[in-house]
Amino acid sequence: MSSLSLAGMIFATMLGLMAIRVPIAIAMFFAGCFGYIFQVGWPPFFNNLNGAAFARFASYDLSVIPLFILMGNFATQGGISKALFQFASVVTSRFKGGLAMAAVLASAGFGAICGSSVATAATITSVALPEMKRHGYSGRLATGTLAAGGTLGILIPPSVPLVIYAILTEQNIAKLFAAAMVPGVIAMLGYMIAIAVYVRLVPGHAPEHEDQAQLTMEAFLGVAPIAIVFLIVFGGIYGGLFTPTEGAGVGAAATFVAALLKRELTLAKIRQCFYSTAAASAMIFLIFIGADMMNTSLALTQVPAQLAELVQGLDVSPVMVVAGIMLFYVVLGAVMDELSMILLTIPIFFPVVMGLDFGMPAESVAIWFGIMVLMTVGFGLLAPPVGLNVYVVNGLAKDVPIGESYKGVMPFLVSDVFRTVLLLSFPGISLWLVQFVG
Amino acid sequence: MKLLSLLARASAILAGVLLTVITLITCVSLIGRNTIGVTLVGDYELTAVTAGAAVALFLPWCQLKRENIVVDFFTARLSDRTNAQLDRFGSFLLGGAMLLLAWRTAVGGLSAYDSQTTSMMLGFPEWIVYAFMVPPLILTGVIAWTQTIFGNFSEQGE
Repeated sequence: MSSLSLAGMIFATMLGLMAIRVPIAIAMFFAGCFGYIFQVGWPPFFNNLNGAAFARFASYDLSVIPLFILMGNFATQGGISKALFQFASVVTSRFKGGLAMAAVLASAGFGAICGSSVATAATITSVALPEMKRHGYSGRLATGTLAAGGTLGILIPPSVPLVIYAILTEQNIAKLFAAAMVPGVIAMLGYMIAIAVYVRLVPGHAPEHEDQAQLTMEAFLGVAPIAIVFLIVFGGIYGGLFTPTEGAGVGAAATFVAALLKRELTLAKIRQCFYSTAAASAMIFLIFIGADMMNTSLALTQVPAQLAELVQGLDVSPVMVVAGIMLFYVVLGAVMDELSMILLTIPIFFPVVMGLDFGMPAESVAIWFGIMVLMTVGFGLLAPPVGLNVYVVNGLAKDVPIGESYKGVMPFLVSDVFRTVLLLSFPGISLWLVQFVG
Repeated sequence: MKLLSLLARASAILAGVLLTVITLITCVSLIGRNTIGVTLVGDYELTAVTAGAAVALFLPWCQLKRENIVVDFFTARLSDRTNAQLDRFGSFLLGGAMLLLAWRTAVGGLSAYDSQTTSMMLGFPEWIVYAFMVPPLILTGVIAWTQTIFGNFSEQGE
């Protein structure tokens, strides 16, 4: 059998299993096993599995993932989001659609200490949705805003997908986080602009006048813990005091203390933190195991290497290749979970991209491409037919039809497209901050 | 099923405690390194192996709650009954994968024991970490196969 048809069969097996609701990690695992055994036989396959769990689970670089997830869960259960939203609504109360903008601002703030979009969306929704409804915001605008705001959880560092990209491509996590800062702020501003434009173009979704709120000492003190944790974690990482994994550990401990000081953290809530961390971390690591098997098996067919050569021989501009990969992600992301998609495809696409000449140093290309991949992940979390964030927020809202929520995210998707084109055309926007990281 | 969910809860909480301990070790190590210049020897290794055990201990609860992501796009139009049956098949495959991993991890652990492989800085025997991973992998497999036979656990919708 030719290597191409073998690779095709491995892929078809994976997609077939996925289509019948086999967990994505397991579909990749068995498709990979099949390809591996077919190519090299049973004994090497068994040997390969002996250390598979150990190598992935007990890896220092990967420890950063459960630690950041734990940190986000302490923040979620610690009652920090309420003060954050109050503070944000004071800041934006002068604008039309101000409460929706406040939800975006609060999501961005929460995203600065949480690396997961779903956790950010769910946390901010629980405090912001009742307020937005009470003030007469439509279900469409409210759920759309909160789903979009949730993506700031990953667009603004820390960011679990970015950590995974850094590990897969052996890039510096601290530099990738630095690269994500400016695009993250652009995303936040872009979402606020989208709200401002939408409430003017399409009347009836936001109240005519916002309640003018006064900045209270309480609201101000409420956001202090977030600012402090963020400064400790990133100040420490960029000040060269500690590694990202240590930063995550310190951040989790600091968030834990902040939540304890707010007297929000009961024993039951701590248990809930552990359960949520368990579910989120185990899911990611199982995908690692599956994607490893799949990628080893595909690499043996040599097809990924041939693909890289083929693309290098094509007469198209390198930026168009990246744009093509991103379009592919948007299409694949319509049916597949974004994290699995990265784990599965980065080992194939990364060498392709690195083989092209962008007129930039290799490290810059790697970092910039990581930011572009992150943008498509954010887009995939909102875009129909399966936008995970939209489902999460819509599920919490209970009385809003899912179609309304998808209409609600449209302005934000437009904003996403503008931002992505901007970042694709000007790599300097992402790379500007990186130069200051030693 | 009560026993299985109790075990899954217990291992998730144990793992959570382990992770929290890591955060404390990290803080102690950092304060030591940056103030009095004393480094906790092998703190990276300690983090890695503890987190490794924690991740394995997280697996049973994740499967019990069916948090492993599936693609539901292609089967959305099928009846709930059919989807439930497909989920049982998915759990069957997941259980098989976990038990396969448990078996091979046990073999890997035994060979690490025979060769007395240790971590670089601490000289921490690697087989102990393997030994921590095998029981939760088995538990995850058993939970998945229980779901294949009896369907969802009552904690599902919690």
